[in-house]
Amino acid sequence: MTIAGPLFVLGVPLAVAAVLQILRRWTAISVWLAALTAAGMGVLLTLLPLGGVWTFRGLTVELARPLVVMGRVVQIEAADIFVLRYIFFTAAALFLLAWRFLPHSNFFPVGLAAAALFSGVFMVEQVVYTALLVVMGAILTVFPLHESGGAAKGGLRYLVYTVLALPGLMVTQLLLDLFMVFPNDQGLLNTATVLLGVSFAILFGAVPFQSWLSAVSSDGSPPVVTYLFTVNTGTVWFLLLAYFRNYPWLSQQAAFGTLFTTLGLVMMVTGGVLAAAQQRLGRLVGYATLVDNGAMLLALGTGRMEGLALAALLLLARPFSLGLMTLGLQGLRQLTGGLDDHLALEGAAFRAPWSTMAFLVGGIALAGFPLSLGFAARWGLYRITAMTNFANAMVALGSAAAVMLGIVISMRVLLTRPVAPPGSAPVLKEDRLVVVLIVALLLVTLALGFFPSVASNLAVEMAQWYTFFP
Amino acid sequence: MTPFAVWLDRISGVTTTTAVWGLFLSGAVIYFIAEWRLRVLALFAQYLFIGVLFTRVFVDRPEMSLLKVLVGWLVCGALFLSVRIRQTAGEKPHFHWAADLPFRALSLVMMTVVAYLASQRYTLPFVPQDLALGCILLAVFALLFIGAEEDVGVVGVGVLNLLAALDLFYSAQDPGLVVTGMLVMVNLLVGLAISYLTVAEVQT
Repeated sequence: MTIAGPLFVLGVPLAVAAVLQILRRWTAISVWLAALTAAGMGVLLTLLPLGGVWTFRGLTVELARPLVVMGRVVQIEAADIFVLRYIFFTAAALFLLAWRFLPHSNFFPVGLAAAALFSGVFMVEQVVYTALLVVMGAILTVFPLHESGGAAKGGLRYLVYTVLALPGLMVTQLLLDLFMVFPNDQGLLNTATVLLGVSFAILFGAVPFQSWLSAVSSDGSPPVVTYLFTVNTGTVWFLLLAYFRNYPWLSQQAAFGTLFTTLGLVMMVTGGVLAAAQQRLGRLVGYATLVDNGAMLLALGTGRMEGLALAALLLLARPFSLGLMTLGLQGLRQLTGGLDDHLALEGAAFRAPWSTMAFLVGGIALAGFPLSLGFAARWGLYRITAMTNFANAMVALGSAAAVMLGIVISMRVLLTRPVAPPGSAPVLKEDRLVVVLIVALLLVTLALGFFPSVASNLAVEMAQWYTFFP
Repeated sequence: MTPFAVWLDRISGVTTTTAVWGLFLSGAVIYFIAEWRLRVLALFAQYLFIGVLFTRVFVDRPEMSLLKVLVGWLVCGALFLSVRIRQTAGEKPHFHWAADLPFRALSLVMMTVVAYLASQRYTLPFVPQDLALGCILLAVFALLFIGAEEDVGVVGVGVLNLLAALDLFYSAQDPGLVVTGMLVMVNLLVGLAISYLTVAEVQT
């Protein structure tokens, strides 16, 4: 029996997700099954050439073979392979990270199903279907977000913002269809550009739509928040690039560079200032991510291939830095019964040293300071920004420094020596497996900081598929 | 004629204007009254009126309108169950008006006038004027619910209203089965997510 590639890539994770929903009681089985399925998809997409065929016990998978659903073609193209790999490998890694923190969780089946839907986004052509798949995947990730208690405001806000982005994307499809009929009506394209811009700004958490970022990171479960900020945001990012590739008139708009540069800088400054003023570690993660998102838009605003590669590198670096911060934040919250404000966490470094270390190194990496992959990406960004506008590069650097200030302030609180006699405060017995994961991630982060060329080659290769820039 | 077809025929007999009035009244009930059983009942009625509006869009396929109504009612059922769980957790059901009633009344009047004028002044492509009023009114309610409330359930109803407005508008342009099916899925997912978030708040 021969199966079309898209059916296999979409169908297998969805089928396994259904099975995982039944197996939720057995966390270890759920975790490993989810991680192996996602990693398996990633490996298949890495090892099998697009035109290749994979045969297993009479079952043949043809990756490039299109799937036709009610007249609509669903197909994997060469440019999509990198994105699909990013989605599946990141999801697999996050399932493993969440293992000890989310027992009997919905995260594993839901995360796998969302990864399948997000991969489907890149296999369909029409804007309307991509938009609906993105929204469906995003809504799915709301379910495990508040499993570990806390207010549900973050999930609600994310849901509202995601649905608010839908009309703009769907109406864009109508305008594009109309433009095919009336190719001289430039007004249709202008309206489509505005609608797409607003919709992507909402999905990306751009200023002034950034409130969902901080709300989600403030009261959401950290592993799920990391999934949301890496897989969901990565999907939105690559979808934006895919639109630029498929609709060249979008990137040829006169205001393209100025718009993205300004938006990126506004996001970086806003995020930096708010991060420096934060007294809650969860919110600090949210605003540091806002700065990172802004840096990606700034890189896009350079209008150069190198900028795209740097943005891809920032996105590749994020799972490592956010993964570390997640492990740290979750450990620190466990220490204080869910609280993550400075008052509750005073002296926490003496009671949960590994979690503190993870949060510190993850924070430094997300802020783009050495030694981390984020530093290599940010430094490159400052350099190519400075070539055209030195002040912009300084503003970007200042925003990163503001995030760093927020982390330093938090560290001072965490490292405050407790006044009470030793032994009076409970010491968190950190889970050995979590410590192993923290050490592994620390080593990988440092290794990538020393040898960024491993990831940067991949980022350049990724960027080359989006050839709308010289 | 099967009972189903008879029922559909009766529904499509209701005029669009009546359905739009129904939408307005049910939306106003959700906006003004802070009692959950009434709110869910009003949402239940609202989906019936939305179904009537859909019969104008799916003229040749009334079963699609029925599908939209049934999906809406399923969402109502899920919301009702969640609210029951929340009430069991401590909140006693009793009739009372929303806290800032004068503000709500004023904002509803103003927004309704804006919706009416917008439907008169701007023509939505492929959407008849009375149906356009229904679309805009749903979008207005979505804004009011999302903007004026903090309660997960009411904000969620706002999101559902926004989806219904988009669904009506988009189906008038492209009444294809794939888009309709996917929008049904999105509606169901949003409904489930809101129900889940309503319950999740109780656990805190």
